Amino acid sequence: MKGILKTSVIMAGTALGLIAMTPSAGAAELRMSWWGGESRHVATQKAIAACGAKYGHTIKGEFTGFDGYLEKLTTQMAGKTEADIVQVNWPWLPLFSKDGTGFADLRTLKGIDLSNWTEADLNSGSTNGVLQGLSVSTSGRVFFFNTTTLEKAGVAVPKTWDEFFQMTKTVKEKLGPDYYTLNAVKETAHLLMVLVITQATGKDMVDPKTNRVAWTPEELATGIGFLGKLVETGAIRSQKQEAADGNVNLFEKPAWAEGKIAGSYEWDSTYSKYADPLKEGQVLKPVPMLTMANGVTEGVFRKPSMVFSISKNSKNPEAAAQITNCLLNEPEGIDILGTSRGIPASKAAMARLANTGEPEVRAANDIVMKASGPTISPFNENPVIRGIIIDTLEEYAYEQIDEMEAAEQIIEGVNDALKKFD
Amino acid sequence: MRSQRFLGYAYLAPYLIGLVIFTAIPFLSSLYLSFTSYDLMSSPRWTGLSNYQKLFTRDRTFEKSLSVTLIYVFSTVPLKLAFALFIAAILNYKLKFINFFRTAFYVPSILGGSIAIAVLWRYLFSTEGLVNMAIATLGFGPVDWFGDPTNALFTITLLRCWQFGSAMVIFLAALQSIDKSLYEAASIDGAGKVTTFFFVTLPLLTPVIFFNLVMQMVQAFQEFNGPYIITQGGPLKSTYLLPLYIYEEAFKKFNMGYASAIAWVLFAIIMVLTLVAFWSSKKWVYYAGDKRS
Repeated sequence: MKGILKTSVIMAGTALGLIAMTPSAGAAELRMSWWGGESRHVATQKAIAACGAKYGHTIKGEFTGFDGYLEKLTTQMAGKTEADIVQVNWPWLPLFSKDGTGFADLRTLKGIDLSNWTEADLNSGSTNGVLQGLSVSTSGRVFFFNTTTLEKAGVAVPKTWDEFFQMTKTVKEKLGPDYYTLNAVKETAHLLMVLVITQATGKDMVDPKTNRVAWTPEELATGIGFLGKLVETGAIRSQKQEAADGNVNLFEKPAWAEGKIAGSYEWDSTYSKYADPLKEGQVLKPVPMLTMANGVTEGVFRKPSMVFSISKNSKNPEAAAQITNCLLNEPEGIDILGTSRGIPASKAAMARLANTGEPEVRAANDIVMKASGPTISPFNENPVIRGIIIDTLEEYAYEQIDEMEAAEQIIEGVNDALKKFD
Repeated sequence: MRSQRFLGYAYLAPYLIGLVIFTAIPFLSSLYLSFTSYDLMSSPRWTGLSNYQKLFTRDRTFEKSLSVTLIYVFSTVPLKLAFALFIAAILNYKLKFINFFRTAFYVPSILGGSIAIAVLWRYLFSTEGLVNMAIATLGFGPVDWFGDPTNALFTITLLRCWQFGSAMVIFLAALQSIDKSLYEAASIDGAGKVTTFFFVTLPLLTPVIFFNLVMQMVQAFQEFNGPYIITQGGPLKSTYLLPLYIYEEAFKKFNMGYASAIAWVLFAIIMVLTLVAFWSSKKWVYYAGDKRS
């Protein structure tokens, strides 16, 4: 009898001990995946730790650079092993959630205060009327110039393309032929081409009414020829030169760090990624859109930059919603994330950050928000369409085809790809 | 007796479970998927032979990728085997510090498949890389290793050849197992070193050459890391090997059905070439105790 009593006391004690060690009800283990540069990685890791501590959840970060993120996410989505909270590029939403069932319906989750977004923002994150992603920020391509290099050459920041070509000539004469005034490789070359055609015509690549290429072959050929002119004038390195160096990212190039490449055309939110590697004393500044004589618009490429989605396979969607809300709408997340993903779309974050955050990111975003341009189709960044355009531009760069042939090839290929979305 | 039989099955079970889950099921699934249209997000839709029809009639990228892959395999494998055999023959001599040299030459094959080495290769062969710096000291101008479509595939080939260690070790083991009395007999008959190599060493190495040939050929058809990291298949698709094409179709363009069809064509090519190698081996591979004269 005494033995039974003793055993019972020990078992009861053990049970009580275990109960005390168990996390409080609702504590969840979550994963969050994102792409970005060093500053975004650091900020996000701190923010998920702070939000996790606030709600008693543990969040594991899974982060990479942009290259390869789509493939990784695709594999995870196919295997239903995606993270609970996923950063998704806005143009990918139709790929992962054609009919609004790819991710959790965010309107059904209690933890998110949706009143912080405009109806337009919520619509841009919806497919088939179902809210699939929360807009993190509105982003656009903007010119960054290394003003230290320009000052060294005694030239002012250009305002028009004519001034830009004049500046290039002066920089090369004064600093040497190994100095370049812009960078345009693959995606950036593609978007520069889009920019000049949009400036000249006022049209985005895809006509939303017909879901086909809106540009004529002649208009497109002019844009392609513009890339050729950038190479001929020595403004950018040729595609062959870039390939010879292994197509290294701009922010990894020694020439960029040294200021020998004096400018680029990048997403406003990526300012730090390009400014951080510059050698001490070099200053990088976002500048207003270069304009074209007789252009009909500034042609800004502006769109929701990215969204946060919640996996429909998450075991703890409400906990994931709490953390997402904390990151985007609550002081703990807002203060730490700052402008690491651009100027936030959330009203709460915008109000709290006011004029804080990186001033250059804010300045870059101001340029993007104020510039004129048509509504941008997500198909501009569809991986198949982008592949067709980049491959054709490569053929043009290697003089396999001329501008007109390249234009016709792009229109035919892109229209074929667009047909699948009719 | 019965319990011993069960014990045998128990020992086999981990391997068999792994084989079924990680090889057999994906293998058969990909065969099924190759007859479907499958975008990874929705259920596969049966399309019969249409993927294969498109592959052989309308896909110029496949034609280009296949020809690049064949050029790559037929240049890499002989080069790599010849180099591995050459180094193995040198390391077969009794030199000072020979064990150090054997280890040193084997190391690249341990590191070779890694991403880090591919990145290093990119820097070595870039315009201002170490290789061009070495060429400049000889008084020559820089070579455009990656930017010129005619050189890019060769540079990727060199990366694969550099990983000759595993083939070399097998050659070295085979060289050491050759009976020394055969060399003495050849020497007494007045054979020089070159004659001895071609008429004694080489015939006795043919089983190992055959083994290395098949293994290296299969591996070369599956090459991915080098072109993916260094050239991304360019320029002008001059390094766009089939595994790269399969990867892009599957994970960038969401055409898993079509990618599976390409994978099965690649599998068929490897199988046919392996069968050809086995068939031809009857004519040139000599095993111990072989009665052929």
